[in-house]
Amino acid sequence: MKFISKYNYLSILFVLILASCSVDDSANKDEEKPTISINYTEGFPQACTELVKGETYTFKAMVTDNLALAAYSLDIHHNFDHHTHDDQEETCDLGDVKAAVNPFIYVENFTIEEGLTSYEINISLTIPDDIDTGDYHCAYSVTDLTGWQARTSIDIKIIE
Amino acid sequence: MVFARSQGLFFQSYNINMFYKTLSIWLCFSLYAMACTQDSLIIKGLVVNAKTLQPIEGVNIIGDGFFSISSSDGSFIIKNITNGNYVLNVSHIGYAPKTVNVHVWRNMDLIYVALDEAVTNLDAVEVNGKTSKRRDKESSTISYKVSKEFLNQNRENSLMQTLSKIPGVSTINIGSGQSKPVIRGLGFNRVAVVQNGIKHEAQQWGNDHGLEIDQYGIENIQIIKGPASLVYGADAIAGVVDIKPNKIPAINSFNGEVNLLGESNNDLLGVSVGVKARKESWFYRSRLTLRDYGDYKVPTDKINYENYIFELHDNHLRNTAGIEANASFNIGYSSEGFTTETSFSNVNAKNGFFANAHGLEVRTSSIDYDSSSRDVDLPYHKVNHFKITNNTSLDLGNHTFHLDLGYQNNNREEHSEPIPHGYMPTPPDSKERAFNKNTYTLNVKDVFKPNAKHDVVLGVNMEYQDNNIGGWGFLIPEYTRFTVGAFGYDQFEINKNLHLQAGIRYDFGVVDTHSYFDWYPSTRNNDDNTISNIYLQRSQDKTLNFGSTSASVGLSYLRNKITYKINIGKSFRMPLSNELASDGVNYHMYRYEKGNLDLDPEASYQLDMEVDYSAKKFSVALSPFVNFFDNYIYLNPTSSYYETLQIYEYTQAKVFRVGGELSASSTVLKNVTLNASAEYVYSRQTSGPKKNFTLPFSPPLSGRLSANYQFKDLLFFNSPQLSAELKVAGAQNEIVPPEQVTAGYQVLNMAFVSKLNSSKNSLPIEMRLKLNNVFHTTYFDHTSFYRLIDVPEAGRNISLSLTIPF
Repeated sequence: MKFISKYNYLSILFVLILASCSVDDSANKDEEKPTISINYTEGFPQACTELVKGETYTFKAMVTDNLALAAYSLDIHHNFDHHTHDDQEETCDLGDVKAAVNPFIYVENFTIEEGLTSYEINISLTIPDDIDTGDYHCAYSVTDLTGWQARTSIDIKIIE
Repeated sequence: MVFARSQGLFFQSYNINMFYKTLSIWLCFSLYAMACTQDSLIIKGLVVNAKTLQPIEGVNIIGDGFFSISSSDGSFIIKNITNGNYVLNVSHIGYAPKTVNVHVWRNMDLIYVALDEAVTNLDAVEVNGKTSKRRDKESSTISYKVSKEFLNQNRENSLMQTLSKIPGVSTINIGSGQSKPVIRGLGFNRVAVVQNGIKHEAQQWGNDHGLEIDQYGIENIQIIKGPASLVYGADAIAGVVDIKPNKIPAINSFNGEVNLLGESNNDLLGVSVGVKARKESWFYRSRLTLRDYGDYKVPTDKINYENYIFELHDNHLRNTAGIEANASFNIGYSSEGFTTETSFSNVNAKNGFFANAHGLEVRTSSIDYDSSSRDVDLPYHKVNHFKITNNTSLDLGNHTFHLDLGYQNNNREEHSEPIPHGYMPTPPDSKERAFNKNTYTLNVKDVFKPNAKHDVVLGVNMEYQDNNIGGWGFLIPEYTRFTVGAFGYDQFEINKNLHLQAGIRYDFGVVDTHSYFDWYPSTRNNDDNTISNIYLQRSQDKTLNFGSTSASVGLSYLRNKITYKINIGKSFRMPLSNELASDGVNYHMYRYEKGNLDLDPEASYQLDMEVDYSAKKFSVALSPFVNFFDNYIYLNPTSSYYETLQIYEYTQAKVFRVGGELSASSTVLKNVTLNASAEYVYSRQTSGPKKNFTLPFSPPLSGRLSANYQFKDLLFFNSPQLSAELKVAGAQNEIVPPEQVTAGYQVLNMAFVSKLNSSKNSLPIEMRLKLNNVFHTTYFDHTSFYRLIDVPEAGRNISLSLTIPF
């Protein structure tokens, strides 16, 4: 490193590095992801929640964004094969691995009224009677107007 | 000095004394019986570099009343000579001229001339023939030549990782052994990889596999940093990695090498054996390569990805092991004015993917991944690339015709544990995706010199691709594609130091996409509140035509030690079938990818410049560029959903880019060489839904500083060198959804390179001991595929490689 002072080209290099680092035109650009959370009193379902067949539940999650929210989705699918796990702090006990016969599946998208920066997802859903009980996975996702996305997922069970 | 021996003796002695000769100033030739007519004799000979024993092309061999220039394999022929003694003046720029006395008679043998590299200033040598170095300077194309020495000294786990030490070249990596080329921030189908004149065609669009090319046995690569559609056709919109055919072996030679490689980080063992031989006209070469490696290690014991935590066993990145087996065989014939070489090669690899997250999708599994760090479990991919190429050239007067023919089959399969997704039930097997692509290529080129001032090239390229798909996951439709292009360019010598180069090209292409229906029904809510189960159509039968013009004009000016180049060009790229017609769910990336049949061919306009100052002790080069895309095709994350997956739609946007590379090297002390380089690209989308954002996978500002110390010979170490290289990368705060900001980093690598004298009678063994990531630094590479799931780059690695010639 002692050669730096002697050799101009090295100084030029570092000037170039510094100069380029200072280029900043992040204005007019949304660089923030939306957020999504079930970690509040009304948030539903919480990790390891057991849902009873035939019952109606209100799925609730809070979403926010710095500029404008755009759309959200709810996906409930079985985890009988233990293919994944959720991102909640609590770890749930999973049942035995089994084959699906008539698993419950819920796959829906919704849009959010334009211009909102915070919104509470509120989906009323009846668990059908004729579906397989066992481990399920519940995944929420939300996008903002720019195209950033946030996701969260929760391990739940459907019981008789 | 002159030797006259019988051929057998000569070769014995040539081999035995080869090493001695490389160090000495030798000139040798031998005489040998051969049939010839009495009054019209022939002098045949070979010119080699005395130090490297490599053939030298373009050497002037001048006698009284006759004249010849050595061809690319170093050979030359002088015809219509009568019996007697002659004096040959052998000269070439960059080498000390030599005078050879020859006795010509009926049974004379080949003449071997070994030239020493000139120590005098080049200006003192009269320019008769042009070296390839000189030709590169005269060409306005801004390119970078990579030699076998560079490849050997910088060898990393994949060809592209080796080449990424060149300023302006970077890679998109997945795991330790697979990477794709990126030139000035653009990659995938925007960089053409050419081998033996044939464009390498695989699934370039995919970001989770590498290049199916054996990185051993390559002698010479030209990298063009800029649009090069003019000569290379579509896809060369951002640059070209042109792997040149190897030099034809010297007449009556047989040699080979064994390359051994061991690495500590992923417990890699690699063996590659190459041989080449030539009689008079026929030659062959062959190579076998085998590489086997385990899971690579990262300098962390857990990975935090969003809210997930993956505990790593023994720092191993679970299931990233792999195996690669390659074989090639070439046969060729070379005589005066005619050369043909046919190459058969097969590259086969199987690589595992990180088991805890496939793409962005977090997975759990009952597979016991940690029982062995060397096995490859699900998810993995396997790929086989088979290639036959033929390169033929024919000299006819002042025309040289080149014909390149190629057939290649790329067969790739991606396997993962079958699990249901959305409306898709559990699939029957692990074969998620399969691609089988056949590509046929024909290139014809005529290189001619209408007069001393012009070098003209006219050419036609034709290519037919047939891409078939399989497996239960759908990403891109089946398609066939036919392209044909014609081009012409001229290099005009305005004066000795000023050259103008201009060319134009037109391409026409037809893409035929095939329809695809899901193999499972999806539930649809109809408007009348009924529900239907339908097999959704994912792609359509469509025939699309594209036409595009490319052009380029440039100047090069040589002034003493400085070369100036300026080039302006337009290049294009045809939309790919997935960009046009995909309509599928990529579960692993949590996205739904939607093609757009209305896409236009991408057009790129670029202004390139280069200033290069090369003196004996100091050289510096600056190569800035400005680039504008009229309609860059980009997979845009929208804010909408499709079956709970975010819709990503192929859209076109105007893009402005500016950047360049700076490199400098200096011999400060007799034994110390310092090198420094820096590269930077600034990209902006100036229209479209992501206006003001950059492009995906933008490499950060980065630089390399290296110091190299040449020791005196010690014990059996011959020309030992110790080098240290610091790679410094700035933070990448320029991102586009769904990327994350990546912090800057510094990594130190060290290497000890030496030749080993095993015995006086054999060629020296080359040894390279490298220590990568000396401080076991945890850092993230913004352009690594695993960056998305917060996996750091590989930890410390010690590698030892040996090249044993025979």
